Amino acid sequence: MKNRMDIFEITREPIDKLGLEKRLLTGGAGAIVTFDGVVRDNTKGRRVVSLQYEAYEPMAVREMRRIGDEIRQQWPDVERVGIIHRFGPLRISESSVVIVITSPHRRVAFEACRYAIDRLKQTVPIWKKEIFEDGEEWVEGQAPEVKE
Amino acid sequence: MSDNAIKVNVLLFGACREVAGASELQFNLTAPADVASAWAEIKNRFPNLEKFERSALFAVNEEHSRKDQPLKDGDTLAIFPPVSGG
Repeated sequence: MKNRMDIFEITREPIDKLGLEKRLLTGGAGAIVTFDGVVRDNTKGRRVVSLQYEAYEPMAVREMRRIGDEIRQQWPDVERVGIIHRFGPLRISESSVVIVITSPHRRVAFEACRYAIDRLKQTVPIWKKEIFEDGEEWVEGQAPEVKE
Repeated sequence: MSDNAIKVNVLLFGACREVAGASELQFNLTAPADVASAWAEIKNRFPNLEKFERSALFAVNEEHSRKDQPLKDGDTLAIFPPVSGG
């Protein structure tokens, strides 16, 4: 089973993007698509100093694993899926999430990677707070569809 | 504890945690209990959580759950605002 080699992690440490790509690379892969989400220094015209991420760790890992399962159903050609999300305080330009998809050909890797980040923002229990020069605010997330 | 009393572990995250000023606690509920009845009890204890009445999301034993999800003794109920990871 290919998915036994997938990687889903929540960490307080900086994310080792190249290390993740290396851990997931197999001989059968012809493409690696990596999404790297980084902290932006502004939101709606307001200057952001830093971000604070909070995670419901065990559930977040479960939900990331579920995204991996959904990807394998939709794109059986995918070789490996890796998702690492960081939590705690993050500075501008640091990576908050890295998603790596490997596949024999590029198209499925692009599509699966796009799906993974869109889905993560709906279902994975992680929250971020923006720290401004003059205050702080939780980011309003979107409500997921709860399956019956 | 009477026969129809159950204990539920409650976890609060994000803005819900901050507003309540608590992240983890135990609640005694009367069976039959569900997420909705637990949520009502929790809002009684922390009236400030009322502002999340429309937006709050729930997970029972680490699975996204609706308000009509039944709760049994020993369950873990997590309460949080819509997620904003990424």
